[in-house]
Amino acid sequence: MMDRLRFVLLETWESLTRNATMQAAAISTTYIALMLLGGAGMALYKLDAAAQALPSQFEAEVFLKMSATREQALELRAQLEKMPEIVRVTLTPREVAWEQEKQKLADQVNLADLPNPLPDKLTVRVRSPELLPAVSERIAQSPLVEEVIDSRQELQTVLAIARLVRWIGLGAGGMLLLAALVLIYNTVRLTIFSRQREVRVMALVGATLRSIRLPFILEGMIQGAVGGILAATLTLLIAAFLSDYLTRQWPFLNDLPPGLPPSIVMMGLPTLGALIGGLCAWWATQRYVHI
Amino acid sequence: MANYEGAMVELKQVSVVYGDQHALRRVSLSVEKGEFVFLVGATGAGKSTLFKLLYGETRPTEGEVWVLGQPLHRLKPRELPFLRRRMGIVPQDYPLLPRKTVWENIAYGLRAIGYNESAVRQRVAQVLALVGLNEQARQMPSQLSGGEAQRAAIARAIANNPPLLIADEPTANLDPDTSWEIIELLMRINLRGATVIVSTHNRGIVDRACQRVVAMDRGQIISDVPRGGYPIELDRLHASVML
Repeated sequence: MMDRLRFVLLETWESLTRNATMQAAAISTTYIALMLLGGAGMALYKLDAAAQALPSQFEAEVFLKMSATREQALELRAQLEKMPEIVRVTLTPREVAWEQEKQKLADQVNLADLPNPLPDKLTVRVRSPELLPAVSERIAQSPLVEEVIDSRQELQTVLAIARLVRWIGLGAGGMLLLAALVLIYNTVRLTIFSRQREVRVMALVGATLRSIRLPFILEGMIQGAVGGILAATLTLLIAAFLSDYLTRQWPFLNDLPPGLPPSIVMMGLPTLGALIGGLCAWWATQRYVHI
Repeated sequence: MANYEGAMVELKQVSVVYGDQHALRRVSLSVEKGEFVFLVGATGAGKSTLFKLLYGETRPTEGEVWVLGQPLHRLKPRELPFLRRRMGIVPQDYPLLPRKTVWENIAYGLRAIGYNESAVRQRVAQVLALVGLNEQARQMPSQLSGGEAQRAAIARAIANNPPLLIADEPTANLDPDTSWEIIELLMRINLRGATVIVSTHNRGIVDRACQRVVAMDRGQIISDVPRGGYPIELDRLHASVML
């Protein structure tokens, strides 16, 4: 078993050292692609965490018209509860709200003699922050509704940044990843051609197709994994530098929840690289290694 | 299966067609255990195609190919390597790996099929002694003469101690004395029990060896002589081509 493993590893090493320039090209393209994807992933995670942390980001406060009766308020609540985007609707009756308001301002003004100016209020909770703007729009169209207040503005800014990061990261990273796939495929293909004699000798002495192909697949996996390690290291360094710089510029950013744990980046990108590299190499061996 | 006693090779009405070209036409041939067979014929006669059929690199368009009792014409691809381990193949192309020494070249084939290091060392030493290349063991292929390179290729083919040895033009580009040394080596291997099939168009060695000679021309077997020299039929054909 150990002898077999040794043979496969030596063959892999032979493959890796055969076309150094092509190997370097494949690894560098992989690492740039994975760095962009990793960077985008980290930024998206942070933005998502920021969006989750925004107060009331899932909720809208719906103030009804003063003319709306309690029955109408309850009927509207029942209608809203049937909407699939909505998780929960809570009714705060105007008298309860007024009591709370009086207590809150008790030290400053005496509101006891004043008539209640507050309307009934519905607090609507949606399934995800992205749904909030559309749901608020729809609720605002009801003739019973005076005003809908939500954290749409802040939320939309965060979501817009997240979209931008997603498109740039996935677009550029995806295209580079495609280039990396082609380069790994091509590098393995060239290695196969340059090792045609070995492949033929192995085939003629009766080596199985799997054992002939395995070193080439390992070659692709190593290329991908090395690209992934470089990408993870650089992504974490850049993220640390950027985070340090940005929090010095805007101290309130310290209050944001923490980003993606570095261990996940250090494990994830090399694993992704190895999987992609192995897949490309497997594809190349399927086409070019036969017995 | 290891001690298979039937016909080593049996071709039944085999044809191989590439596009509209017939490389082999209804060829039937049987080689028994322990035989030494010369396959002779001019370039393009079908010798290499027949050899490729024997080690499964080409599939017959029609007919049956039996090697060591296995039906190669319907063998599954994953079964082929295990049949090849019981054959020694000396191909005409890619004889040796240029970046490895003679020792490493022979060891490479054994390692590729899972031999452990102590078995590799033992087998390589044995075959190097058998082919007379002990002194050249650490030399690179570029440092070898043509005959030595061919001996090394034969050593690699027989390292696994196969019952069947197939050598495609092992004397090509060798001078007459070296060619005869190679044939002597193959006959020694034959005497040790292996069935040997050698393709050649070297008239001198065929006449001198006095073994079974199968002659091919244009994809067909035109003569099969149990013990003889270079077939007269081929001489006639060559003469007619020359005229």
